[in-house]
Amino acid sequence: MTPVTPAGGPARGDEPEETDSGLARERTALSWTRTAISFAALAGVMLKVNVITGAIILAVAPLVWQLGRLSRGGLPSTGLPVVGARRLLLITVCIVGVSLLCLLVALLGRADPGALLQPAPRRP
Amino acid sequence: MSRSGRFAAWWPGGAAEDEEGTEPDARFTFANERTFLAWSRTALALVVAGLGIVQLLPPFPGVPVGRHLLGVPLIVLGAVLAIVAYAELMRNQRALRRGEPLPRSIMPWILAATIAGMAVISAIVLLISALR
Repeated sequence: MTPVTPAGGPARGDEPEETDSGLARERTALSWTRTAISFAALAGVMLKVNVITGAIILAVAPLVWQLGRLSRGGLPSTGLPVVGARRLLLITVCIVGVSLLCLLVALLGRADPGALLQPAPRRP
Repeated sequence: MSRSGRFAAWWPGGAAEDEEGTEPDARFTFANERTFLAWSRTALALVVAGLGIVQLLPPFPGVPVGRHLLGVPLIVLGAVLAIVAYAELMRNQRALRRGEPLPRSIMPWILAATIAGMAVISAIVLLISALR
């Protein structure tokens, strides 16, 4: 029978993945990078629609990437590190803020209908 | 849990802080964090889709509010998804810490229901647009 941890998961074995959380840390770091890229992609779309809002969102992307690199402390209530819990809350706040910005632009901004269908302007 | 206690449970280091439970395996914490980040990216993708529909798609003939009808709910869902993702992250982490079974997630249900609803609205808008 496989031993289990109090959380119900399998206990650590002899496999490298089970004895060292380094790979999990690596995967999490990559996940942070993908999240930062997602912010940059949203900024790219927004730049096409509204330059100022797009620039604001673009500035958030490197901040998100940097958040993923911050050191960690300990938070007893959740088990999440203090910095970890706060930076994750910060990500949530960023996404909600960006959503509100996008909502404002979508409702009040000048639309460019068919922009995706328009051919790129020819250079002389 | 009282309403204020529930709110505090969302806030890292807030009033809900207790000493219950033990530090979970770091791998579980990392997995929980990655799940939260994956949902965050899903939320951002929804916002991008909503913004693209409203601002960049050509208008639907005969349905002047068609683009807003499709795009605005996606943007709102993106914000809701980000908030619920954080709440679930904290719930899961607390359960891991206390050795309890992980609570069932409502996020797949929210996403599936919204996508199905959006598909129906899209079909209606396209049909009306094609008939005009």
